[in-house]
Amino acid sequence: MKLEEIVTKSAKYSDEKQIPSPDKLTRQQLAEIEEKEKTPLQKLLDDIIVILPILCGIISVLEYCLLPNNSANNNPLTYLVLLIILIIWYFVRMIIAFAKRTHGDKQNYQKLRYKAPLNSALFLFLAIYDYLTLKTGILMHPFVPCINAIINIAWIDREQLIISALHTLRLLFIGYFIGVILGLITGIACGYNERVRYWVNPLIKFLGPIPTSTWIPIIMVVIGGHLFEGAIFIIALGVWFAVTVASMTGISNVDRSFFEAAKTLGASERQLVFKVAIPHAMPSILQGMTQGMSTACTAIMIAEMMGVKAGLGWYITWAKSWASYDKMFASLFVICMIFTVVTKILNFIKKRVLRWQIGVVK
Amino acid sequence: MESVVLTLNEVSKSFAKVEKDEITHALDRISLNFKSGEFISLVGTSGCGKSTILRLIAGLITPTTGTVSVNDKEVTAPGPDRGMVFQKPTLFPWLTVEKNIAFSLQVQNKLAGNEDRVKRMLKLIGLEDFKDDYPSQLSGGMAQRVALVRSLINEPGILLLDEPLGALDAFTRMNMQDEILNVWREKKQLVVMVTHDIDEAIYMGTRVIVMEANPGRIKADIPIDLPYPRHRSSSQFTDYRTRILKMLNY
Repeated sequence: MKLEEIVTKSAKYSDEKQIPSPDKLTRQQLAEIEEKEKTPLQKLLDDIIVILPILCGIISVLEYCLLPNNSANNNPLTYLVLLIILIIWYFVRMIIAFAKRTHGDKQNYQKLRYKAPLNSALFLFLAIYDYLTLKTGILMHPFVPCINAIINIAWIDREQLIISALHTLRLLFIGYFIGVILGLITGIACGYNERVRYWVNPLIKFLGPIPTSTWIPIIMVVIGGHLFEGAIFIIALGVWFAVTVASMTGISNVDRSFFEAAKTLGASERQLVFKVAIPHAMPSILQGMTQGMSTACTAIMIAEMMGVKAGLGWYITWAKSWASYDKMFASLFVICMIFTVVTKILNFIKKRVLRWQIGVVK
Repeated sequence: MESVVLTLNEVSKSFAKVEKDEITHALDRISLNFKSGEFISLVGTSGCGKSTILRLIAGLITPTTGTVSVNDKEVTAPGPDRGMVFQKPTLFPWLTVEKNIAFSLQVQNKLAGNEDRVKRMLKLIGLEDFKDDYPSQLSGGMAQRVALVRSLINEPGILLLDEPLGALDAFTRMNMQDEILNVWREKKQLVVMVTHDIDEAIYMGTRVIVMEANPGRIKADIPIDLPYPRHRSSSQFTDYRTRILKMLNY
């Protein structure tokens, strides 16, 4: 097939009159041209998959409304409203995607097609979970509450949950930033300077392998009343270790030829560190920061469950002692959301800072 | 650009071998004199210390004995007055093409008021459209061009080229030979180039210095008495080539 023919063919989908000339193709048009033509059967299958989440959503609504409950269910509308909002949200996106596709813009459609199986699974999961809890009690009522109960209790106890979440966030960020800053200082100094490495390396080797949570009982004894500071110390320690090791490796792996080139271009010793070594080690440093965040999240939960008298970890143990299992699950969801958002932010920063890496590493 | 005289006085350089407790004598009492306006080609088998000479001039390493001096001032450290282009482009992958070229001015705090120099360099190599691209998006020839002007932006009196065209394909290579010659003929700085390619050495150099290995020493210093632009197939050109190849036992 000649290129002109292919271009004309691809333009068939588009409402626009002009045919894109081969040297002015957009990235999407190029992808469409190079893509193999799908058979009508495949196209039909794609459409069905895109619609599937709606069907699964309706199944979960029917499951919730039609099957008899096994245990009491207060405010039954909450979960139903949530389900309907999710379905409508997907429906709107689907309509937009289909509308845009008829105008030749396939991007939304492809995105939706990619996400559709997962979205379907989510609705099915909700239906199955509801069946196992509210409808049959197979997952031991009241230890595992249904979604409706979890949302209701989260709303009723929102004040306490928000305060706890803010406590957790405060502790997490103070500890994390102290750890990152100290980790960068020691890591960069060790990576660049042999003498600093001589003194700091044994410390890292000795302290590094100890899991941070092991420190908690010791800290509780040593610091006694000041548990908040103790928790910060524990979180910072874990982060410090991850960031130090990562930035040290990153910096000591800088190719010597970069330093040589920079030197012949007139860079001073300090500029070699800040303009060559650190940017070069940035992927590794960010890797360490991500890893540090996950140790910090673990450490903070353990610290709050064991000693700190605030935060979401504390909320879980407190709810357990009152046998409010629905509150435990509500707290779990909030923790999950917070950590997801934090990881997303970190990934966003990573993508921005490491823009130059696109194409270097896949 | 001030005119420079570069002197290597009885320079020897030895390296400790990595594994055994032995010493390699890379250079043995080399004495050389270069001045502005010359284009020096260093040729020789590998291990003869060609690159070591360049690195000594650049100040990246110091001689075991003897001195390297520019205008009677001893070289002790690298500096932007001696620009160097390596075999690998060594562009900083986290900086765009434009920022790579501006790097040298920036670290010397000279960027303010000199932005037009960066533009001029981009224009010189015809990569204005690529100024916001990262090095990973460039071809080998483009990257090496950027590396060349990254050093040229300082208008160095001495330009050191360490097999800068070694990794390029034949056509890009011939084009870049002419580009480098144009820059040199305009600015008349001192260029010292290491190469494996005898044709390239004769095509570009005003002097070809043939070296020998174990220990590294100078075998011959041949002035190339041909007008530019040179023709690779002319009879004088082939005479020079035959002479140098014979000297290297080929």
